[in-house]
Amino acid sequence: MSAKRVAVRGTWQTLERRRWRELGFSLGLMALLAWLLNGMGFFEAGRLIQGAFNLARFAHEMFPPDVRILPTITGALLETIQMAFAGTILGFLLSFPLGVLGSRTLFPAGVVAVVRFLVAAIRTVPSLLWAVLMVIVVGLGPLAGTLALAFYTVGYLAKLYAELFEAIDPEILEAMRGVGAKRRHLIRFVLWPESANAILSQLLFMLEYNVRASTVLGLVGAGGIGFYMQAYLGTMAYSRLTTVLLAVLLLVIGMDALSAWVRRRYLLHP
Amino acid sequence: MTQPLTVLQSEETLTVPTPAVAVEDLWFAYREGSWILRGVDLQIPMGGFWAIMGPSGAGKTTLMRILAGLLPFPRGRVLLLGHPVRGELEPALRRSVGYIPQQLGLVRGLTALENVLLGSLARHRGWQTALGFFPRAEIERAMALLEVLDLADRADEKVFRLSGGERQRVAIARTLMQDPQLILADEFVSDLDLPRAAHVLAFVYRLARERGLTVILNLHELQLVQEFAEHVVILKDGRVVFESPALDLTWPLFREIMGDYEREALK
Ligand SMILES: Nc1ncnc2c1ncn2[C@@H]1O[C@H](COP(=O)(O)OP(=O)(O)O)[C@@H](O)[C@H]1O
Ligand SMILES: [Mg+2]
Repeated sequence: MSAKRVAVRGTWQTLERRRWRELGFSLGLMALLAWLLNGMGFFEAGRLIQGAFNLARFAHEMFPPDVRILPTITGALLETIQMAFAGTILGFLLSFPLGVLGSRTLFPAGVVAVVRFLVAAIRTVPSLLWAVLMVIVVGLGPLAGTLALAFYTVGYLAKLYAELFEAIDPEILEAMRGVGAKRRHLIRFVLWPESANAILSQLLFMLEYNVRASTVLGLVGAGGIGFYMQAYLGTMAYSRLTTVLLAVLLLVIGMDALSAWVRRRYLLHP
Repeated sequence: MTQPLTVLQSEETLTVPTPAVAVEDLWFAYREGSWILRGVDLQIPMGGFWAIMGPSGAGKTTLMRILAGLLPFPRGRVLLLGHPVRGELEPALRRSVGYIPQQLGLVRGLTALENVLLGSLARHRGWQTALGFFPRAEIERAMALLEVLDLADRADEKVFRLSGGERQRVAIARTLMQDPQLILADEFVSDLDLPRAAHVLAFVYRLARERGLTVILNLHELQLVQEFAEHVVILKDGRVVFESPALDLTWPLFREIMGDYEREALK
C-alpha cells in the first residue's frame, strides 16, 4: 500500500471519528434536555392535556380584544417609550467612561479589575430586580423604571465598550504616542471615532432590548404599560390584556424598524 | 506637488549636535532570554537618508520603535538628536521625532485634515484640543500641508474612503505637522506598487533635502534603496551585518547576504 493511500485512509478515519463525536454530543444534549424536562413534569400526559385545555380557554377569553381601553393605555405606552429612551441614554453616558476605565490599553490593571468587577456585579442583577430596588429607593413610577434600565444598560454596554476599546489597532495607539498625545486625546481622537460604528450599533440593540424590558417593569410599579398588564391579568380581563399585548407588539415592531432605519442610514463605513 | 515647502517654520528648535541617531551596543528582548536585538551599533549623521534592510523577523520594526522612543530597552545607549533616550521622550524631543508605523496608524473614522491636525498635539496638549478645538493657525498649517501633498480637495474625506496612496500622503502630512527633524518610517512603501513607491520616495527625498531632515526607512526593494537611499544598513538576527553607501550594495552582494535566508523561507 502506497503512502498516499494510507494518508487518504487516515483522513477518512479522522473525518468519520469527528462525525461520530458530533452525533454522540447531540444525543447527549437531547438526553440532558429530556432529563431536565422530566424533572419538571413535562412528560405527565394528564398535565399536558390539562395544559392544552387551559390554553384554549385562555385564548378563547382573550378574543376579541377590547379596544375601548386604548385611550386609557396610551399614556402608559408613551411613558414606556420615555423610560426606554431615557434609561438607554443615561446608561450609555455611564457606560462610556466605565468602558474607558475598564480597558487595559488605557488604564493600569488595578483600576481595570475594580471597574470590571463593578460592572460584572451590576450585570448580575436582572432588570426586573433593578426595578424593585429602584422602587424602594426612589418610589413608584417611571423614574424607578428609567434608573433600572440605566443600570441594566451599564452592565452590558460598559463590558462591550471595554472590549471594543481593547481591540483597537495598537499601531494607531503607537502612532498617537509618537505625536505626543495624552490619554484624553486618545479618548477623543481614537477610541471614539474608531468605535463609533460599533458603539451606535450596540446602543440601538440596547434600545430595542430596553423597549421590550420596559413593558414589564410596570409589574413591580416601576412605571409604563406593565401596570395595565398586571391589572388586567389580575382581574382576569383577558380581552383587555390582548389589546395591551397588541399595542406592545406594535411598539416593538416600530422600534425595530426605527433601529433598522438608523443602521441603514448611518452605519455605512467598515 | 511642486510648490516649495515654506509653510513649516518652527518657532523653537532643539540645538542639535551631530549625529542625528547614535546607537551603542543596543540589546532588546520582548520575552526574557530571547534577544531580538543583539548589540546593534549605528551612527546616522544629521540630514542622512538611510535605508534599513533585512529578512523579516530580523528586528527592523523593533529597532524603529526603539529609535522612535516608544519601546524601553534593557541594555545599550540610544542618542536621538544628541539627547539620551530614557523612557518617555520629553515633549520637545518627542515632536522632533516623527514615526510612521507600517500600517500608518491613521484613525480611519477621522478626516484627512483631522488626522493631520493630530500631528500638532505635541504642541497643544491641553483640554481644548482634547475636545477637538485646534488653534486657527494650526488648521491653516494643516491645510497648507495637505495642499503641498496634493490632498487639498480630500481634506474633509474620512480616511477609510481614501486610496492607499492618499493615506500614505496623509501620514506624511501628519508627521510633517509635528515639524520633526528626524523621520522614521517602517516599511513605508511596501504596500505600494513599484512606480507609486518610487513616486512617494522621490517626494519624501526632495522634502528632506529642502528642510534638512534626517530620514530612516525600512525598505524591501534593493532597486528603491539604490535609487533613493544614501546609505544602507542590513540587519540580520538582531545584528548589523552590513553597512555601506547604498550604491556599493550590488545585486550579487545583496543576494549573497540575504540568499540563505530566502532559501530557508522557501522550504
Ligand atoms: N510585540 C511583540 N511581542 C513579542 N515578540 C515580538 C513582538 N513584536 C515582534 N516580535 C518578534 O520579534 C522579532 C522581530 O520582529 P520585528 O522587529 O517585527 O522584525 P522585522 O520588522 O525585521 O520583520 C520577530 O521574531 C517577532 O516575532
Ligand atoms: Mg517589520
